[in-house]
Amino acid sequence: MSRSWSRPIHALVGAATALAVLTACGGSADDSPAHGTAEHPVTVSFWAWTKGSQEVVDSFNATHDTIKVKFEEIPSGGLGGYPKIANAVKAGIAPDLLSIEYPQLSAFVSQGSLQDISSYLTDDIKKKFLPQTIEMTTLGGKNWAVPFDAAPQVFYYRKDFFTEHHIALPKTWDDFRTAAADVKKAAPKTRIATFFPDDPTFFQALAWQAGAQWFSAGKDAWKVDTTDPASKRTAEYWQGLIDDKLVSTASSFSPEWTSSLKQGTTVGYLGASWSAGVLAGIVPEEKGKWAAVPLPSWEADKPASGMVGGSTFAVSKNSKKAAAAVEFALWMSTHQDAINARIGASTSSALPASPAMVPIARKAFDTSFYGGQDLYGLFTKVGASIGPDWVWGPSPGATNSALGDELGEVVGGSSTLPHAIKTAHDATVADLKKRGLKVEEPS
Amino acid sequence: MSTPPTSGTRPGGLSAKARTRIAAGTFLTPFFVLFTVAMIIPVCYALWLSLFTEKQSGLGFDGPRTVFDGLGNYASALGDQAFRDGFWVLLGYCAFYIPLMAGGAIVLALLLDTALARARRFFQLALFLPHAIPGLIAALIWIYLYTPQLSPVVKAMESGGIGFDFFSSQGTLPSIVNIALWEWLGYNVVIFYAALQAVDRSLLEAATVDGAGNWRIAFSIKLPLIRSSLVMVLLFTIIGSLQLFTEPLILNRGSGSAVTSTWTPNMYAYSAAFERNDYGLAAAASVLIALVAAALSFVVTRFTNNRKEARA
Repeated sequence: MSRSWSRPIHALVGAATALAVLTACGGSADDSPAHGTAEHPVTVSFWAWTKGSQEVVDSFNATHDTIKVKFEEIPSGGLGGYPKIANAVKAGIAPDLLSIEYPQLSAFVSQGSLQDISSYLTDDIKKKFLPQTIEMTTLGGKNWAVPFDAAPQVFYYRKDFFTEHHIALPKTWDDFRTAAADVKKAAPKTRIATFFPDDPTFFQALAWQAGAQWFSAGKDAWKVDTTDPASKRTAEYWQGLIDDKLVSTASSFSPEWTSSLKQGTTVGYLGASWSAGVLAGIVPEEKGKWAAVPLPSWEADKPASGMVGGSTFAVSKNSKKAAAAVEFALWMSTHQDAINARIGASTSSALPASPAMVPIARKAFDTSFYGGQDLYGLFTKVGASIGPDWVWGPSPGATNSALGDELGEVVGGSSTLPHAIKTAHDATVADLKKRGLKVEEPS
Repeated sequence: MSTPPTSGTRPGGLSAKARTRIAAGTFLTPFFVLFTVAMIIPVCYALWLSLFTEKQSGLGFDGPRTVFDGLGNYASALGDQAFRDGFWVLLGYCAFYIPLMAGGAIVLALLLDTALARARRFFQLALFLPHAIPGLIAALIWIYLYTPQLSPVVKAMESGGIGFDFFSSQGTLPSIVNIALWEWLGYNVVIFYAALQAVDRSLLEAATVDGAGNWRIAFSIKLPLIRSSLVMVLLFTIIGSLQLFTEPLILNRGSGSAVTSTWTPNMYAYSAAFERNDYGLAAAASVLIALVAAALSFVVTRFTNNRKEARA
């Protein structure tokens, strides 16, 4: 017995040593100065998937000597980018700078994956950004990320279809229901918009717009309430549209959804500011036929919007070059060259979180797909109406996988939206408690 | 071994036995190295990981600390209805899939075995071809074929008066069984067919002379002789079923279907690790799945071995 085992044990010890050596190399510290010199620049590594990132990095490297950026494109968050980041941080090999969307930021903070960058974000710098975006990147009184864009939700629609069938553009959600019925009457196979069952942040943005506040950080405990009156109202409203088959329920960016856009059987899209570029890329042949208006609101005189996604730049725990990383991040968010590079060279239609950058983005983005409409004027107007109180909880994974599972059943007819938000609530509270966090139930 | 051997003696002056041993060792080393790196270390790491959990305090913005949790993660996994439900889904899947797969593959293999020599090659290739397509691509193709408004299959069914929603909660199990059958049937047919080819033709001739028909030959001679292949296919199918992951995951992500993120135990482990960042729970769930797989393999091999001894 002992003889037959001696060989594998030797092999095991050898392999373990090899692994230890490998990890030691990967985690070796870099002692270069924070900003480097022209001869020995400091190199910041950067992971992102947002459109135009490569162009931005190229532009930065062309104009900077002491800091150089090494960019790697990763899959988008929902398609594996976030697990990749989480694993890299765990393994100690994460890059210096990461692109993270607002909803996921608190999750990465609470896992200890990011560095507190408060000391770099002076009040003067913070003043350059929309207050809502600074609010959403501040957790527990510390700044964790540099906001890049705001992502207000707007309503894109086929101008030609609405004009041809004399359908009034919806200003309120009541109007929207009427318009949805009119669209169906005008063309029985056509729907006004899609309720995306695969993307929980879509429904969350709608609840956010209605005034819901699912999470709030108290003094030392989280308040969780996904079933407040605003969320319930939103849930019941959309349940009605789904039950009456007034909206489509294809998944976002699925073949079913894109083919319905191409066939003209979906004539509207409740997207975000960044969706303008995406939509133009999906149906380029419908150039000039689309336009955008603010999201319908609950009360005609009180415009409001939630956000769908939107990205920030955060410094990983592993980084030894936080100063340089933050400098690059701020350049990406607040320098006109960066905005020009990203929006001019790609199809990105992101609304910069820094209002001073909006005129530059407006100039750089080609709006011929929207008949030359002033989209950035619209985004700015809607962006100002983003509900300021929304906070993302520390465990969006638990919230969103529970909600996402239920949404699939909602559109399949075996669950309802009011039930879905209750399930998401219970799953979230259970997960927070399991992590050892304190939770205050709504009274 | 650093000094060159003097002429006239055997290399190293070792006996034949010792040299055989060294040769065997040399050939086996790559296997053991790979086995250690790819199997033993990950399994040990998973066991280790499953004993710890991450705890946070207050609002959680100070980062987590890792604490020893004993068997707490195992208790959490077993106590979670979503995890237990996953095994029921698997049971339903197996009850549906295994008879269809094994039965279908045997019938097709027997037909092939009796078919014309020229047609054989064609059918063999046609049946095996789907297996050459990765599960991920297969799932994507089938999602397209299942999607209403897009799929020619659904359209044809609708015009024939059959309305079936492949993504509904009743439809998901048949949908996934269908994808798996499409992928694996040909593979198993080839295994059975190869076993049938090895059956001694003189036995079959003798049976024909004795007046046995095709049915009789199939059931009384061919099937008993390919029993060992049948056992192997069963074992692989059961273990494969336990690992059901890719197809339902794609269905979960890409279609808005009723497949949840914790539909099978493997998906539960994936979701725990990569959606909820609970690596301890994921490791515990994986270890539990491995235990179930080991137990089932043991039962299948034990059961079939006993039968063989009883027959002998």
